Amino acid sequence: GINAEYGGIKHFLFDNSTTTMALDISRLAVSVTVHAWDQDKTRIAVSPNNSEVHIYSRNSSGEYVLEDMLLEHDSIVTGIDWGHKTNRIVTCAQDRNAYVWKFEDGKWKPTLVILRINRAATKCKWSPKEDKFAVASGANLVSVCYFEQDNDWWVSKHIKKHRSTVLDIDWHPNNILLATGSSDGKARVVSAFVRGVDNREDIPKSGTAFGSKLPFGVLLKEIDGIGGWVHTVKWSPSGNRLGFTSHDSTVHVLECGSTTHKHHNTRYNGLPFRDFVWVSENSLIAVGHDCNPALFSTDGNSVSFVSLLDQVEQQKKAGGGTARSMFENMVDRGSSGAGDSENTLPTKHQNCIVSICGFGGSPTKISQFSTAGLDGNVVIWSLDNLKSSLKITVA
Amino acid sequence: MATAASATSALGPYLDCIRVTLTAAMCLQNFASQEVERHNKPEVEAGKNVELLLKPILIARNEKEKFLLEGSINSLRISICVKKSDDLDEILSKKFMRFLAQRAENFVVLRRKPITGYDISFLVTNFHTEIMFKHKLVDFIVTFMEEIDKEISEMKLSVNGRARIVAQTYLQAFLK
Repeated sequence: GINAEYGGIKHFLFDNSTTTMALDISRLAVSVTVHAWDQDKTRIAVSPNNSEVHIYSRNSSGEYVLEDMLLEHDSIVTGIDWGHKTNRIVTCAQDRNAYVWKFEDGKWKPTLVILRINRAATKCKWSPKEDKFAVASGANLVSVCYFEQDNDWWVSKHIKKHRSTVLDIDWHPNNILLATGSSDGKARVVSAFVRGVDNREDIPKSGTAFGSKLPFGVLLKEIDGIGGWVHTVKWSPSGNRLGFTSHDSTVHVLECGSTTHKHHNTRYNGLPFRDFVWVSENSLIAVGHDCNPALFSTDGNSVSFVSLLDQVEQQKKAGGGTARSMFENMVDRGSSGAGDSENTLPTKHQNCIVSICGFGGSPTKISQFSTAGLDGNVVIWSLDNLKSSLKITVA
Repeated sequence: MATAASATSALGPYLDCIRVTLTAAMCLQNFASQEVERHNKPEVEAGKNVELLLKPILIARNEKEKFLLEGSINSLRISICVKKSDDLDEILSKKFMRFLAQRAENFVVLRRKPITGYDISFLVTNFHTEIMFKHKLVDFIVTFMEEIDKEISEMKLSVNGRARIVAQTYLQAFLK
């Protein structure tokens, strides 16, 4: 493997009392913008806020070893998605390109994707069946790409319908619907049905909750009443709910199990969220500029804030003498003394958390999740331990 | 979130309000330009796309002391009007601000030219918030505002003091 120059991997294991909510914290770079795990969560692809993608392998004791560097892009990598079924990685960057990487002969080999966009790409996601992927871009459109066997390359079709940069996309479990969030302050549901890749039989006879006529690119729903840029959109595990967050620190949920839709939201009393993940059908964990994961729950009639999840350590730090807290600082954060503790934040993340992924459990009941932030930390949290130490229930 | 009480109790609420507003407005993210491909510009300076700009906020203590905050998705422009009670203050503050602005590179977040109508301006971009602690950046701006007033008062005192000494020494020559 490759190491040495990236040997500065600091690794902290929290002193384990009975409740260790953060299983480990590792600083994989000065700043991390996106991260994605492979199927068995032994490998992680991260982008250290530049044009590179680093692949690390993580062993069971939580140590990361740099395995490979994917260096095809020219500017900042903005999206990485690891297809668990096919073990392919798709990456996209501000250089208007996307690549699909396949692991062959011990190395990751790139294939260029013809996106035909003339602005930066902002996010990319494999569809649930991993036969297509979508790329959101600053050209106010989404590129849906599929593999053309005859020409042996990936081609794209464009979904326009947006009036500003598309900031996030998410596929519905039915492999056809795509939710998008844009900096024009709207969340949308569009159809990404590609003839030749998708079958008409995939659409249920009674139609989806957004209709039964789903030609490619049609705008099925445009959600208003959002006070700010829509940073992230995610379907719940069943696809019956669509969650999204906006820049006015609001978490929204659209109930769309049937053709009547209801839009609920709640204003969070802190800084905006950049990403979130559904940990069950009724609960989601959002992360953002507060550097603290926040748990929200929904019951079909409303969304409500439950708790911040990075709390216990603050109480621990309050007590104890200065000598003890100095040593604790050295163990926990690698800082050299009391002077640093004024500058550092009490949370595990020292800067905005930009990315959150499920890490353990199943999609309908996530037991562990990982977060990556602009401080370069990748933290793995145990939701089960958090539930017992913070005395909260996750619906 | 700590709200520091400033030394002058009169300035306290003004600076607290500024601190809270700055913390909220400094939620910036990397955003590639929609106008020019492969470019990454501070949107508050480019100003082309209205949907990317936030409403400017003006926090004023009185008509002379103002704080303008113009935000956007990837950058933040802060313009400050300092207190100037008389002509001497005006000259001192103008010279002081010019001195600082010409050395803007050393301050990283300082803008070379203030916005018209203001004495000094800062430009904070997502690249700054990625490498620096956000709460320390906010602290820097608030401390800067507190220190400016103190510095200008000190300078005024020293100017007056020097003027008095010069006048005395000169007029000594006319005494018998």
